[in-house]
Formats: sequence, structure tokens, C-alpha cells
Amino acid sequence: MLTLKQLQFHYPNSRPVLKSVNLSFKPGGIYGLFGKNGEGKSTLMKLVSGLLNPKMGLCSLKGRSTQSRSVATLRDLFLVPEDFELPGLPIQTYEKVHSSFYPNFSKETFYNLIEEFRLSPNQVISRLSFGQKKKVLIALGLAANTPLLLMDEPTNGLDIPSKSQLRRILASYVDDGKCIIIATHQVRDLHSLIDHVVILDNAQVIFDSPLSDVSEKLWFGKASKENEASALFSESTFGGKAIFPREDRDESEIDLELLFNAVLTEPTQINTLLNSINHG
Amino acid sequence: MGKEFDISRIVQFIKRDLTLQKNTITIGLLVGSIVLFLLYLFNMVWDKRLSADEFLGSFSLCYFPLGIFYVYTMLREFQNPKFNHSYLSLPVSNLERITAKWLNGALLYTLVFSLIGIIVGILAMMVGIVVFGAEMHVTAFFSENYWKVVKLFLLIQPTFMVGALTFSKNRVGKTLMVLGLLFIGFLLFNFIGFGILNHDFGVFSGESSGSEAFDRASQDFSVLGRWFYGLIFGPLMLVVAYFKMVEKEV
Amino acid sequence: MDFDNSKPIYLQIVDFFYENILEKRWQEEERIPSVREVAMMVEVNPNTAIRAFNHLQDLEVIYNKRGIGYFVSQDGFSKVLEIKRREFMEQTLPDVFKKMSLMDIPFDELKNAYNQQKKK
Repeated sequence: MLTLKQLQFHYPNSRPVLKSVNLSFKPGGIYGLFGKNGEGKSTLMKLVSGLLNPKMGLCSLKGRSTQSRSVATLRDLFLVPEDFELPGLPIQTYEKVHSSFYPNFSKETFYNLIEEFRLSPNQVISRLSFGQKKKVLIALGLAANTPLLLMDEPTNGLDIPSKSQLRRILASYVDDGKCIIIATHQVRDLHSLIDHVVILDNAQVIFDSPLSDVSEKLWFGKASKENEASALFSESTFGGKAIFPREDRDESEIDLELLFNAVLTEPTQINTLLNSINHG
Repeated sequence: MGKEFDISRIVQFIKRDLTLQKNTITIGLLVGSIVLFLLYLFNMVWDKRLSADEFLGSFSLCYFPLGIFYVYTMLREFQNPKFNHSYLSLPVSNLERITAKWLNGALLYTLVFSLIGIIVGILAMMVGIVVFGAEMHVTAFFSENYWKVVKLFLLIQPTFMVGALTFSKNRVGKTLMVLGLLFIGFLLFNFIGFGILNHDFGVFSGESSGSEAFDRASQDFSVLGRWFYGLIFGPLMLVVAYFKMVEKEV
Repeated sequence: MDFDNSKPIYLQIVDFFYENILEKRWQEEERIPSVREVAMMVEVNPNTAIRAFNHLQDLEVIYNKRGIGYFVSQDGFSKVLEIKRREFMEQTLPDVFKKMSLMDIPFDELKNAYNQQKKK
């Protein structure tokens, strides 16, 4: 559905933010885009939504370049940015002036979500907290029913119950026709929802794999004297968590944070293992 | 589906702009009306009547600044990094955007403000009659001069659109400066162009004074130049504004 | 739902189903929540929930009526009981025995503790 080919980007007079990024996103999945702060997650989201133009390469949604910002492309995507402001209008007015631009917009979904987020349609947006504004925008994005939904740090500014609300809502939202990309450095917040992980580091994609592959080939557990040597990666603390080749062990739950740290320190080892079994 | 130019979407887009800027627009029009009202009254104090020229003069004095202010209000969202994600990612094509902004900022504004000009004018006259016994004087509002004023506005409005789309800080000041420089440049260009093309007038002969040549130059400008700039300059600036929109990034 | 860190989430959802069936909250031949509802309940990706449903279907604890939804099998309760018993015998007990021998706890002590618990 969404294809990034040799995407390159740098801001004026600065080092490259993305060098030759190749990725492909399919409908029916929730993609987690991870990376340390300033590793180009937000830039990638902006490139995908056409808010920035790549210096080289191509980003295409359903075969159309997103750079041209055509109506056909823009109505297929919705971006919830990390940092934004919304105008001082009541929520329902805000919905009215935006919903008409999205052919599949569902007012029902929107007002259900507003209710679920404990907001009321006649609240004035400018008087809401940042977290509440984020909820309004997330509700609008979900109700717009676009095939592609991009969310940049959606849990920033949300309190713990709201994060849980968001997980519940996202769980109900995915279907086979939709693709959600969530960029975050708070790996834990949405880990139970993500089914494909992309990790950016040093302006490059250093990891891109469905979690089903990860749980098939890697085993997450505690390091002990007997298995220490076979660990691919382990936390430095005594008895810390570690990643091993799964081999014939029972499937274990993926610890995304551990995986993230492992990929950052041992990218080649992890990737080789994942790929070797793939082809073997 | 798939249409990149759709009238109903343009209407939606204008509606959105009007809704988002509702407060600013209301205050702007209110202030404009009050100032206009005072100007009308002021013009009636001396001769107890409001002539067509006075009427139009007061109108222009509000029409232009307010129109320029409106252009910047409308395009504020475009430059604000906290807002422009939702503006830029809205499913509206660039051609629709520029059309909507122009229809709104040039035509709709002129229509609305002309109406306000007339209504406030009638009000001012009524007050004038009551307060200091001004004579009832029906002025033809849509005089030839009115159309000239509107034409001039339509001519320079796109320039301010370009200004609003180009500069992110001190937008009005910078646009005025550039416009001033452009104006001097054009004048010089016309002057030289005229001098070369119309050697017979002896612009460079030294006999006639500079001011006379200047007069002649501007006279010529008024015939050929007005056609040239009147027809080309406005649309040209609209085209520039369009490309400014196309290349905009957050 | 809080997740245990070692067990795959889909198996934890399976456990959640077992619990509901064993405690008779979900009766045999009764319709159970849909994949989407379960995904929402436990805040997971629907694909993960589907895995749990498939797993339970393979074990014949639940079955799918096309177009209507999922139901607890006719003998769902006894199936679950059997599964849980096996789990207890094969996983929990060996663990207990291992700990007992490690801490040198005689079997009689365990028996007493069991009888006392039962009297309460």
C-alpha cells in the first residue's frame, strides 16, 4: 500500500536525517516506528504525508507519489502530529468543517470516540489540555476512515487511563483495509498492539520485521549461568533479561524494549539470525 | 472520486476558512465599519454633505488596509508551524486552495465590504442629517471611480498573497518594502523603456525637465502600461502564489 | 489486563478464556465475545486475538458458527478441565516437587498443609 524507495532527506545545511530508506507497508497491520529521539521518525512521517519533499527517492501511496499532495492521496491518509495546535472552536464545529473533506468520514465513530475520551461536543478546543486536544485529533483521524493513519507519539500527553483507552480504541479500529503507523520512543505504551516493528537509527532503517517472525526465531528470557554464552543480547544487570535464539523452546512473549535495545547494540547479529532462518 | 478541481470542495474550503477566522473577521469588520462611519461623518462636518468622491475616498481608506489585513489573516495558518500540518494535509488540491483564497480574499471580501460601505454610508448620512442637518444627498456608489478602486485592489491583492505566503515574520512590512522596491524598479524600467521607444519626445534631450518626462512616462504607462500590468501583473502574482503553495513544506 | 512478561499474549488470552469457562461465566453452547470485542477488552491487536481464537478452536474448546460468531463447545467445560489438569500435572506439580526437594520439605508436611487447607 505504502512504499518508500531510497528515500533521502536532510534539512537545509544539516547532516542527513534519512539516507536511503526503503520500506513497504501493507494494510491490516499496526506498524511501530521506533528510534531514539532525533533519529528521523517525525521526518519520515512528514515525508509520507507529503508535508516534506524528499531530496531523493520516492514515497508512494497506492501507486501515487505523496509529494504532489493530490486530493486523491491526501484523502487516503491522516496524520496526527506530535506537536500541534488546534483552533479555538467547539469540538463539533471543528468536526463539521473538516469531515466533509473525507469521503468515508463517520460522524458516529467521531462522536462515540469523543464520548469515550470523556469529552463533550460543545467544549471549546482551545480550552482543553494538550492531551485532550490530542484526543480530538486522534478521534478525527480515526473517524476519517483513511486507509493510512499516521500517529507521531500518540501517547505523549496522555495520562495512564487515556493510554489504555487509546489501546482499546486502536484495537477495535484495525481491519484488513487499514494500515496504522505509530512513531514512538515510548516502546512500552502500545507494545500489545504493534505487529510489525521498524527501527530507525543513524538515519537508516536498521530493523524491519513482523513480530511473528521475531517470536518464531528469538526467545526472550532471563540470563543464567547455563545459557549466558548463547545469549544474543543481555542486559548488563545480574539476572537481567536476555534474548536467545529460540531453537526448540516454547514461544515467549516479545519484550519490545529489550528487542529495541538489542537491535541498537547488535543490529547485525539479530538481523542475521532473523534472515538466516527465513531462507533456511 | 479523483477529481482534483471540485467547486463544492472550494466552497467547503472557504467555509472552513471563514469558520476558523470567525472572530478575527468579525472584529476586523466591526473596527472597519466604525472607522468608516467616523470618516463619513468627518467628511460631512464642513460642507454638510457627503459627495461621491468623499464617500469613495473614505471607503478606499478602509477597503485597502482591511483587505490586506484579511489576506494575512487568511494565510496565517499556512505559515504557523503548529497549525499548518492540518492545513497542508487536508485533502484539497493546490489549485483549489489558491482559487478559494482568491475568491474569498478578493471577491467575497470586496462584495461584503462594499455592502458594508453602503450600509454604513446610509447610516452616517442619516446621523448627519439628524445631528448637524446635512442635506440628503444620494450618491451613486457604483461610479466609474469605484470600479477603478476595486480594479486597483484586485491588481495588488495577489501581491500581498505572495507576501503572506513568502515571509513568516513581519509579513506586512516586508511585503510593503518589496512592493515599494518593485514599484521604483518598474517606474525606472518604464521610464527608460519609454525614453528609448519614444525618442521623439526627447526624454533624454536635456531640454525638457525631468518632471515633464516623468509625466509623459506615466501618461504612456497609463495607456499601454495599464493594459500590460493590469492584465498581467495580478494573474502573474497569483501564479507565483500558486507555486509558493505547491513548494510549501512544514 | 496486565500481561505476564514471559508468556505470549495470545496464550494469556487463552488463559482468560479458560478462566471464564471454568468459572461458568461462559456456559457451554453460549456465544462468546467476538475477536474485536476481545481485542478491545484486553487492548491487543486483533491479529493477536485471532491467534487465541484459532488456538482454542484447534483444541475444540470453542467453535465458529459462520456469520454468527464463536460459541463454547458442547463439551467445552470438560475439555478445559482436562487441559488445565494436564497443565497442573505436567507443569505446576513438577515445579512444586523441585522446590520441595530443594528446600528439603517432606511429603507429609505437604499432606498436612493440604488437609488443613481443606478443613477451612
